[in-house]
Amino acid sequence: MPLELQAPALSLYVHLPWCLAKCPYCDFNSYAAAEFPAERYVDALIADLERELPRIWGRPVHSIFFGGGTPSLFPPESIARLLSELRARLRLTPGLEISLEANPGASESKRFRAFREAGINRLSLGVQSFDDVFLTRLGRVHDGRAAMAAISSIHDAGFERWNLDLIFALPGQDLSAAMADLERALSCAPPHLSLYQLTLEAGTPFAHQAPPGIPGEDLAADMERALRERLHAVGLVRYEISAHARPGQECWHNRNYWRFGDYLGIGAGAHGKITLPGQGIWRSQKPARPESYMDDALGPAAEIGRGHWVQPAERPFEFLLNALRLVEGFSCAQFEAGTGLPCLEIEPQLRRAQREGLLTYEDGHWRPTGFGLDWHNELCGRFLPRSPRRPAFHAHEPG
Amino acid sequence: MSEQSLIRNFSIIAHVDHGKSTLADQFIRLCGALSDREMSQQVLDTMDIERERGITIKAQSVRLSYRADDGKLYAFNLIDTPGHVDFSYEVSRSLAACEGALLVVDASQGVEAQSVANCYTAMEHDLEIIPVLNKIDLPAADPERVRREIEEIVGLPAADAILASAKEGIGIRDILEQVVRDIPPPRGDSEAPLQALIIDSWFDNYVGTVVLVRVVNGSLRAGQKIRTMVGQKDYVVEKVGVFTPKALIVTELETGAVGFVIAGVRSIDGARVGDTLTEASRPAAQPLPGFREVQPQVFTGLYPVDSSDYESFREALQKLRLNDSALQFEPETSQALGFGFRCGFLGLLHMEIVQERLEREYGLELISTAPTVVYEVETTDGSVLHISNPADLPPPNRIHDIREPVILANILTPEGYLGPVITLCEERRGRQKNLQFTGGQVMVSYELPLNEVVLDFFDRLKSVSRGYASMDYEFARFDSGPLVKMDVLINGEKLDALSWIVHRDFAERRGRELVGRLKELIPRQMFEVAIQAAIGAKIIARETVKALRKNVLAKCYGGDITRKRKLLEKQKEGKKRMKQVGHVEIPQEAFLAILQSDKR
Repeated sequence: MPLELQAPALSLYVHLPWCLAKCPYCDFNSYAAAEFPAERYVDALIADLERELPRIWGRPVHSIFFGGGTPSLFPPESIARLLSELRARLRLTPGLEISLEANPGASESKRFRAFREAGINRLSLGVQSFDDVFLTRLGRVHDGRAAMAAISSIHDAGFERWNLDLIFALPGQDLSAAMADLERALSCAPPHLSLYQLTLEAGTPFAHQAPPGIPGEDLAADMERALRERLHAVGLVRYEISAHARPGQECWHNRNYWRFGDYLGIGAGAHGKITLPGQGIWRSQKPARPESYMDDALGPAAEIGRGHWVQPAERPFEFLLNALRLVEGFSCAQFEAGTGLPCLEIEPQLRRAQREGLLTYEDGHWRPTGFGLDWHNELCGRFLPRSPRRPAFHAHEPG
Repeated sequence: MSEQSLIRNFSIIAHVDHGKSTLADQFIRLCGALSDREMSQQVLDTMDIERERGITIKAQSVRLSYRADDGKLYAFNLIDTPGHVDFSYEVSRSLAACEGALLVVDASQGVEAQSVANCYTAMEHDLEIIPVLNKIDLPAADPERVRREIEEIVGLPAADAILASAKEGIGIRDILEQVVRDIPPPRGDSEAPLQALIIDSWFDNYVGTVVLVRVVNGSLRAGQKIRTMVGQKDYVVEKVGVFTPKALIVTELETGAVGFVIAGVRSIDGARVGDTLTEASRPAAQPLPGFREVQPQVFTGLYPVDSSDYESFREALQKLRLNDSALQFEPETSQALGFGFRCGFLGLLHMEIVQERLEREYGLELISTAPTVVYEVETTDGSVLHISNPADLPPPNRIHDIREPVILANILTPEGYLGPVITLCEERRGRQKNLQFTGGQVMVSYELPLNEVVLDFFDRLKSVSRGYASMDYEFARFDSGPLVKMDVLINGEKLDALSWIVHRDFAERRGRELVGRLKELIPRQMFEVAIQAAIGAKIIARETVKALRKNVLAKCYGGDITRKRKLLEKQKEGKKRMKQVGHVEIPQEAFLAILQSDKR
C-alpha cells in the first residue's frame, strides 16, 4: 500500500519586522525604524491570515510565535488586539504556548507586564552578551546593565517560561571571557538558553568586512565544548543543536519546526509550510518589505506572496534538515508520516552515518550523536536530491 | 595550372608570438586571395585553441597568386607548420615539402631554441632559408644584435636579413620578391611515376579524411587509383584541390604542387603523415624518405569526475583520435579514481591541448594524474616490459633493470640567467654536453631524464629566466638507473593514482615534499587524515591533516529553509571535484601534487 502524507501539528508564526537599529551580523528580515504603522500592520496580518484559513480549516493551532525584528517594540495594545482577532479565527488549543521575542532595552522592559496581560506566556530575550565591550563590537544598542534589568522585569511580570539568547566566539573573545559571559547568564537562572556561535552571514556588514579578532575554528570549538558542558552541569539539557532547557521548558513552537510540523506564516517575509494529505506539502513566502506586504495584504488580491509544492524527491532532505537538529532524532514512522515516503529510501545513508558514529539506531529510532550534531551540515548535505544541472551542456535549458 | 618554374613552396619558421600568423595574413591580403571582409584575423589558425594560444597544431597550406616585379604570375604554396617541440615530426614533414623557408625572428627578443631546431631541420632538407627580422617597428628592436645571433647560433648569413613589421605591413613585398628570387622552383619529373608526400591528414565529417600532399613526381587527378606505399592501402581519388585559403577543386595537382586529395579514406590512419602516395598501376620504386611511426612520450591517467560520464568520455576520445593519430588511449582502472583511460601524448603541450579540448568541446570534467614517461623494465625472467603507469611496476624482487628515457635538451638563454638555468638542470640530474656563447645569448645543451622534464621543468625554466630561456629537445636513449617506486598512503590505504617512480637518491626529499604539499591540498575534514610516502614497506615521510571540529549552522530563521539549503548545496558543489577514497575526500589538485613538489 502506498504511503500517505499525514498532517502534523500546526503552529502559527507572526513576523514583526521593525528594529531600533540593524545589527551588523543580522541577516533576518528586519528594518531599522524610529516609528512604524503598528495598527495598519496588524490589519494587514489579519487580512493575510484570512486568506490562509482555507488551507488549515478545522485544524487546531498548538503554538504562536512573534518573531522579528524586535516584536517587543510593538505597543502591547496592538499585540492584544491581534491576539483577540487570532482567537476569533483560529482553534487555539487550551494553554498553548505564545512566545514573543524581546530586546533588553529600557522602553521594551516596561511593556513586559502588559504583554503578559495580553496573553503572551513566554519571552525570548536577545541578550547575546552581558559584556559591554562585546556588545559594542556586535553593534547592539543595549548594555549589560540593561540586560540584567530586562531579566528582572521578566521575573517581575510573572513569566515562568522564558529564553535567553547568548552568542559566543565574539570578536576578541577568549575562552575565559566566553565562560564569564555564560556564568552571568546562569546567575539569572534562565529556564531555557540558546547558545549560538557568531556566524558571518552573507550580505551582512560583518560578511563584507569581518571584525578583527574572531576566534578561529579550533578555539571556537573548544569554547563551544566548554560552554555546553557547563550548561549540562547546571541542568540545562541540550535538546537541539543550539537549544538548552530545563526539562519541560523546551520551546514547543521551535521544536515543532524541527519535528517537521506545519506552520502558518503571516507577516512581512514570513515562511509557511502546510501539509495537505492527498496533495502534498505547500511552502509559502510573503513579500519581504513591510510596505509592499501591507499594500498586498490590504489589497484585493486573492493570494499574496508566492508558494510552491515541495517535490517528493526533496522531502527527505527537508525532513532531515530539521529532524537531525534534535537530540531526540526521529522514528521511521515519523519520517514516513512527514514525507509520505518509505524510510527504506534513506536507509543506506543512515547506515553509513551510523558506521561513522554520526547517528545511533535503537528501537526504530535514529538519533544524532554529539558528533552528528557537530556535523549536521555534512550529514544533511548527503540527502540533497541529485541536481540535474549539467552547466557545460545544458546551460540553455529552460528553468 | 602553373608552369613548374613559377611555383614556390615555402614555410615560415617562427617562435610563438614572433608574428608568423600576422605575416601569413599580410601575404594573403597582398595577393588578394580573400576580400577584407573574409579576412578574419589569423586565417591559418583555425581551431579556437590554436587561435587563443597563438600556436599551430595542424599544418595548413594556402596557394597564393603573386604578380612579381618581373611581371610574371607566380604560384606560392605557403605551408604553415606547427610551432612546438611536441609536433616536431609534423614540422619535419612540412619542411620536407618545401624548397625554402622564412626564418622569422622577433627583432627585440632574438633567436629562440625551437626556431633554431626547426632551422636545422630545414637545413637538413637543403632548404633555402631567408631570414626576416620582424617587429622592427618596436622601440626595443635591436636588429644588429639579432642578426649576430642568427649568424652565430643558427650559422646563417644574416647581413641582408629583411627588416619587416607584419603588423605595420613593412617589408612584405620585399619578402615576396626575395622568395621569387632565392627559393628555387620545385624539381621533379612530371613523366615519372607518381610520388606525393603526405604532409598532413585530418578527418572531415562530410568528406572523410582530407589528405594534404606535396606532389614530388608525376601528377594527381580524380579517378586515379592510388596506393599508400608504407601503409599499402589502395584508394580511388575522388577530388583534388588547393586551399586559396578556401578549398578550390582543381582538375590536376601537377609536379611540385601542394594540395589536398579526397579519396574515400575512412580514418587518418589510412593515410599517415610522412607516407607516400603512388599510382597503383604504375608504382614508384621507392617511397619518399623519412616516414616514421610517432610514439607517445608522455602518459597520464584521465578519469571523469562523474563516473557516469565514462562512456561519453570514451566517445570524445575516439572523436579526437580521428584527427590526432598521435593520441593513444586505453582503459585503465584505479582504486582511487575508478574507471578512466591511460592516455599517451607527444609531449606536455599536446597533453594540455587534448585535455582542454575534452573539457571545453565535450563538456567533460576530468581528473588527471601526474604525467609520467615510459620506463623499460627488464624482469628477472628476461622479458622487457614498457611501463607507462607507475602502479604497474612489478615488485622490486622481479626487476632486473629499470631504464628511463633520456633526452638531449638545447636551451637558449640570455647570459644573465645562465647560472640559474644550469642549477636547474643539475638539480634535475642533467649532464652538460655543450656550452656556446653568442651575441647576447648562450646555447647550453644537457642530457636530462625525461621524467624530470615532464614534471614542471618548462615552468621552472621560464621562471628562473623570467621567461627568456627557450628549449628544444629530442629523445636520446634509454638509460638504466637506480629507480624506485614511491607510494602514497592515505590513512594506510595505498592511493594508486599517486604512485611515482623516482631516483633513489632523491626519493626521501621528494617524498617529504610531496607529503607536505598534499597536506596543504587536502582540506581538514570530519576525520583525521594521515598521509604517508613509502618505498616498499618503508615509510619515508608522514604528515597529518587534523580533523575539523564541526560543520553546523547555528540558527534557522522562522522556518526559512531556503537559505540553509542553498548553503548546503554550495558545500556539496564544492565537493564535486573531490574524490572519495575511504572516508577521505581528496581534491582534484592533489592528484597533480607530484608536479609541484619542487615549488616550496
